[in-house]
Amino acid sequence: MGFGAQVDPCEKCEELLQPYLDRELSDAERAEAELHLDGCSYCRKRYRFEEELRRYVRQAAVEEMTPDLKQKLSELRTSLF
Amino acid sequence: MGETTPEADPKKLAEEARDRVRFEEEALELADQVYRVARRLVSTREEAEDLMQETYSRAFRAWRSFQPGTNLRAWLLRILTNLNIDRGRKQQRSPDLQPLEEGDYYLYNRLEEAGREPNVEQERVDERLSQDDVVAALSAVPHDFRDVVVLVDIGDFSYADAAQILEIPIGTVMSRLHRGRRILKRELADETVGSV
Repeated sequence: MGFGAQVDPCEKCEELLQPYLDRELSDAERAEAELHLDGCSYCRKRYRFEEELRRYVRQAAVEEMTPDLKQKLSELRTSLF
Repeated sequence: MGETTPEADPKKLAEEARDRVRFEEEALELADQVYRVARRLVSTREEAEDLMQETYSRAFRAWRSFQPGTNLRAWLLRILTNLNIDRGRKQQRSPDLQPLEEGDYYLYNRLEEAGREPNVEQERVDERLSQDDVVAALSAVPHDFRDVVVLVDIGDFSYADAAQILEIPIGTVMSRLHRGRRILKRELADETVGSV
């Protein structure tokens, strides 16, 4: 069963992707999504891609601050005066 | 005896000085993490650097209003996001209310259609999307959505922290995050496969 008879199960699974990865689903919804994922490689591939995408976005978006800025921030300390 | 005012009490003054030094040290230790978020909230490095200096200058002046034991990183980012809005960033009248047809599988489906199906078995998303693609796509997400995506997905803040930082209800955080991520994926698809 899972997801009810009227709904395209992959469509429903797509809707659950973000709350699933954010761990925002109830236990019942989570179990339902996992049951579908166990038997559906179409959705499974897309879930894994999303998970990896999030990791990659986090890594790719990082730009470190320059030592110059770090120094400037440190000089703003009021306790130095 | 007992006539000294709190301001003149040397013991209290010393305690306050110690607290202030500790606050400033802790705030500076968080600067790298605050900057990573700041950098993606604005378009250029110069803007991010100005914003950081303004934020830290204000935080150091207002250190007494920070409640010890609460989340200092969130407190700093609350100052920063408020300053960013005050600085007159380009505001959308109402944030991207056009219907968004694309679902959460959109980017994967577009890559697959273009014969660039991601090899999830090896988990190599970076073979399909470059760092520049990600940066460009993020900056194309409208501000209201980007703020939430950056705080949660890059800053690693909880929904509750993001709600507090941006002073919006948690339900709004969730809906903007959901939509913001979809817009990000649409932008990534346009960047890498071309717009439809």
